[in-house]
Amino acid sequence: MGTAFDTITFKASSCDGCGKCMTACAEAKQGAARISIVPGTKESSFELAMCRQCGDPKCVMVCPAGALAKDDGSGVVQWDASRCIDCLLCTAGCSYGGISLDSHTARVSKCDQCDGDPACVKACPTDALQWVTAGSVFNKYGDKEDMFVPGLSGCQGCNSELIMRHAMRKIGRNSVLATPPGCIPGMGSVGYNGKTGTKVPVFHPLLTNTASMLAGIRRYYDRVGRKDIVVMALAGDGGTSDCGFHAVSGAAERGEKVLYVCVDNEGYMNTGMQRSSTTPFGSWTSTTPVGEHMRGKSQDAKNLPLIMVAHKCAYVATASTGYMEDLYDKLDKAVEASFRGFSYLHIYSPCPTGWRIPSSKVIEACRMSVDSNFVTLWEYTREGGLRFTRSPDRPIPVRDYVKMIGKYRHLDDAQLDHIQSRVDEQVTLLKRMAAAPAAEPAVI
Amino acid sequence: MEAKYLIIGSSHAALEALRAIRQVDAEGSMAMLTRDVHLPYSPTILPYVVSGRSPAERVILRDEAFFTASKCTFVGNTTAVGLDATAKTVTLADGGSWRYDKLLIATGAAPAIPPVPGLDGVSYHVLRSLDDAQGLRKAMGTARRAVVLGAGLVGLHAAENLAEAGLAVSVVEMRSHVLPGYFDAKASTRIEAAFTEHGVTLFLGRTVVGIDGGKGQACTVRLDGGEALETDLLLVAAGVKPVVDWLAGSGVAIDRGVLVNDTMRTNQPDVWAAGDVAQARDFHSGEQALIGIIPTAVEQGRLAGMGMAGDSYVKPYAGGLPVNTYRFFGRVALSIGQAAAEGGGEVAEHEGPGYRRVVLADGRLVGYASVDEPFDVGIMGELIRRRVDLSGCKQDFLDRPLETGRRLMSEGWR
Amino acid sequence: MSQTVVIDGNEAAAWGAALSRPDMVAVYPITPQSSLVEYLAKFIADGRMDADLMDVEGEHSVLSVLHGACLAGARTYSATSAQGLAYMFEPYFRTPGLRLPMVVSLVNRDSVSPTCVWGGQQDAMTVKEVGWIHMFCETQQEICDTIPIAYKVAEHPEVMLPVNVNHDGNYLSYGVAKVDLPDQAVVDAFLGEKSINWHACLDPERPMAVDPLTGGATGAGPATFVRYRKGLCGGMRAALDVIVEAHAEWGRKTGRHWSPLIEEYRMEDAEVALVTIGSMSGAAKDAVDEARLDGRRLGLVKIKTFRPFPVMQMARALAKVRAVGVVDRAVNFGWNCGPVFQEVLAALYHLPVRVPAMSFIGGLAGADITVEHFAQAIERTLRLAAGETAVEPVWLNEND
Repeated sequence: MGTAFDTITFKASSCDGCGKCMTACAEAKQGAARISIVPGTKESSFELAMCRQCGDPKCVMVCPAGALAKDDGSGVVQWDASRCIDCLLCTAGCSYGGISLDSHTARVSKCDQCDGDPACVKACPTDALQWVTAGSVFNKYGDKEDMFVPGLSGCQGCNSELIMRHAMRKIGRNSVLATPPGCIPGMGSVGYNGKTGTKVPVFHPLLTNTASMLAGIRRYYDRVGRKDIVVMALAGDGGTSDCGFHAVSGAAERGEKVLYVCVDNEGYMNTGMQRSSTTPFGSWTSTTPVGEHMRGKSQDAKNLPLIMVAHKCAYVATASTGYMEDLYDKLDKAVEASFRGFSYLHIYSPCPTGWRIPSSKVIEACRMSVDSNFVTLWEYTREGGLRFTRSPDRPIPVRDYVKMIGKYRHLDDAQLDHIQSRVDEQVTLLKRMAAAPAAEPAVI
Repeated sequence: MEAKYLIIGSSHAALEALRAIRQVDAEGSMAMLTRDVHLPYSPTILPYVVSGRSPAERVILRDEAFFTASKCTFVGNTTAVGLDATAKTVTLADGGSWRYDKLLIATGAAPAIPPVPGLDGVSYHVLRSLDDAQGLRKAMGTARRAVVLGAGLVGLHAAENLAEAGLAVSVVEMRSHVLPGYFDAKASTRIEAAFTEHGVTLFLGRTVVGIDGGKGQACTVRLDGGEALETDLLLVAAGVKPVVDWLAGSGVAIDRGVLVNDTMRTNQPDVWAAGDVAQARDFHSGEQALIGIIPTAVEQGRLAGMGMAGDSYVKPYAGGLPVNTYRFFGRVALSIGQAAAEGGGEVAEHEGPGYRRVVLADGRLVGYASVDEPFDVGIMGELIRRRVDLSGCKQDFLDRPLETGRRLMSEGWR
Repeated sequence: MSQTVVIDGNEAAAWGAALSRPDMVAVYPITPQSSLVEYLAKFIADGRMDADLMDVEGEHSVLSVLHGACLAGARTYSATSAQGLAYMFEPYFRTPGLRLPMVVSLVNRDSVSPTCVWGGQQDAMTVKEVGWIHMFCETQQEICDTIPIAYKVAEHPEVMLPVNVNHDGNYLSYGVAKVDLPDQAVVDAFLGEKSINWHACLDPERPMAVDPLTGGATGAGPATFVRYRKGLCGGMRAALDVIVEAHAEWGRKTGRHWSPLIEEYRMEDAEVALVTIGSMSGAAKDAVDEARLDGRRLGLVKIKTFRPFPVMQMARALAKVRAVGVVDRAVNFGWNCGPVFQEVLAALYHLPVRVPAMSFIGGLAGADITVEHFAQAIERTLRLAAGETAVEPVWLNEND
């Protein structure tokens, strides 16, 4: 396994050119800003010049003084002032203006990522600049054992497979895994005809009883003192929100110490893309087809994670593979909470086959869903209430997200407006929940 | 001795080839031989060793641990004297030999010594090796007067060092301006003025007709105008020539340097060449030319290494682009591409506190130079190499080249 | 020390369960089972029973949590009735396929619709083909004793099948009688160490896939699926002997000997026989006694084990009679007769001679089958023996 690095990312479409990043950088470094925002070609568009901390840095190779080197630990291309002879050859090696002459010092300067706490990112009011720690996540978990067979037969680009592998390599062998009927066992995780597809104990519950079976397992292991086993599900949205909901709700109400991960691909994808209660409004499915008398699903999606909040679970969170650090963080918390009570993690998971999106666009769809507030990322604990883990402010229009997904291709303006209004309503409600002050204890 | 990969030379091209090989083949046996007695360093650092700014022990680019970790046998103080491309053997001055599967010729260049009458009878300095630099630094300590033959980069750097050390310095250059080829007359004039201000006497467009010996290191340099420059220290900085003598009779095709194709292969099987020794495609002319600069050496070394290791992602060489990043008396002069070209293109000059000169052809950038006005050399180089059409933003580019260049690269990168 | 108490059938079942020391009890109330789970909850609350009590949100989850517990290694117990069983059906159907050695009491009740909360065996008879072992109890004492026996059978390595211990709703569930509670040490010695999930488990120390997709038309599919199905039949077959042994051992340890498969009552010289199942057998035996007093050579066969069906035992018991009357507390729709009657007919096929038989259906929806009803049945069966035909079943409570 190679080493990956955390990085500053720039999203040009979010940048309003305010220049606060440059000011913050100049202040932090007491010199010229090492980040440069320049006007773009289009009106009110902006571009970035900044060190990209290349994996194959030409500035390093052209330096005659050995003053530049890529740090193996942080990935930062480090500049050694004491060795530098100010020849500026490095500036000829860089194609992005990432290292340049600082007129204040008459020496070169370049971004050093502020040792992992970049001032520019903190100063950015629009989240155009972000500090992405996916590299750390990869380093931490990349060489952990994969708990599934190599040849799972998921569709090309399957996001659920990504979730399964990531989740289980993190959780490890001391676990019992339920994968109720759906894509997850459908691609072979429980195996076929006597052969397993997983290295951990794994089983097919019924579509309807996942949470109950897990509760029974946990209770018995607790009874015999084996309290460190993670007892968990990787379940689909249909089994969770529809026919298996009684079991989920019952287990949550009883506080069963179970980790329930719902992989929400917005319908019954394994059986041919039928509608579920989490299928969004307007969505084409094979049971909400598009024709003269029907224009996709005519009801809104059930907000299952919010329903779980109402159960006062030990932990409830939403996550997306578009934001893996967030997902990993929540997985940690969810596992920990599953030793105290019912722990529910809802992961939104675009399905390239059922949603009609190219497999190469799945992660982009994840990101767009979050960036448009179609999907909100938050977590709930009884102690801390509901908290956004990613700001829902400044969303992109839902239309921008919807237009990349084939199952919404038929939507008319009225339907699009409806979706936008529901997204707005949802965020408003969540914001109220997130903002509400703690209740005063009752005076007795 | 034998090695799957044998690299003769240890500077930028050689080191980059090593890296490129190891990206593909982590294990194949490798040896790097150099005539120098030191671990790898860059010739470019030498003026700073002369000035004392870079202590000799801190200019090493790769240490023993690096070679151990890279599984490369480093052998210094070893001069190659012959190549048998059929037997795949390199013979050494000490009588030894190395067999190879793949050979890289990266022997670089050595100072060119002009045929000046009397030069061979006097004591003079050159500046190509660490030992040269240390010798010059020592001599500088006792001399009062210095004459530098040649106003290229090496000559000017040395002249500045010598002047800053308090010596009375004269520079003699056959061409009419300093740094010929990189800068146009206006730019050169600014640089020349700086030298004059700092007490350096420039003899431009002048020829040395003879040199007479004197006591010890002292000598007298006679110019074509009749001047006689008495000096305690003579530095010959009249350019370099590729180190190719040892290839005589090997069958390797040589013009001024080792002729290579766009993957840095020579005409002999399993023999590559890169760096100052190689005569490879020139970006502008398409002809095989000598461009002895680090960025070119690195790029050629990379291509050669990829080819040697069988890396299938190797792409043909786009051609060398002249690059000059020059600091003088704390000031800056930069140049890339055909920045000094006259005619055949559209030239936009801008003079203010700084000076810049932009050369366009067919709406595309072909050269850019400046004095006292920094720019992103790498970005301009990419615009030239990619032949980016600037016709849509030409005025922006000319008015605000830094911002526009950064914008174009940022957009192009996405 | 054993203890004599006077309790109803539900409490007898609770005692039978408690003495079997299950690790986990999952409950959901339903008439007429409710008091049974209340007794269990009280036992646990009072510390008389060391088990995890799971009050879950429905019968579907009752069996589901127990599936999980069982696969983790737990001995489990629950009880249900009629609609509860219907709601439980999805995991219920799965239990024998997973070869989980569970014991669940069925407090038999007639099934909706018509809406009804009273006794009847329609619930048990509807699920008879699923793969559970079914035992039917006649008295409160038999309920209490049969539950430990059921665990012994279920957990036998050659059986590994779930057992329903049936007792009739109302008549047994609420009827009070004297019961001798066996000593805990006796039950412990009888059951020995539990071994629940040696064949299939969900344990990180023994990772395996439980119930991967099996079957399909290609590869190892068809043969693998058939192997599992035949294996289940093999467990059923093996259970016949195991049930006999378990009852015998119970008899040796407690002094109470119950007929394990079928009980033959006054069959030695019987010319005509009744076949009964469950609590009705007491009244039926009284009717047989009265008929004997009248000089009629009546006998009775009571079914204790209905699944696996003791075919040969039944055939041998009826080999010498001239007619058989089978009394059911449920209906087989389609054949339009009693379901036990159908089973008995199939057993009779194994005899070289044809024995005439007829179906009686009574006791539906909590109705009593009195001695008088049995007397009518006996009269009618005697007429069958004399040559009168019987095409339609006789509905014993039709005119009540």
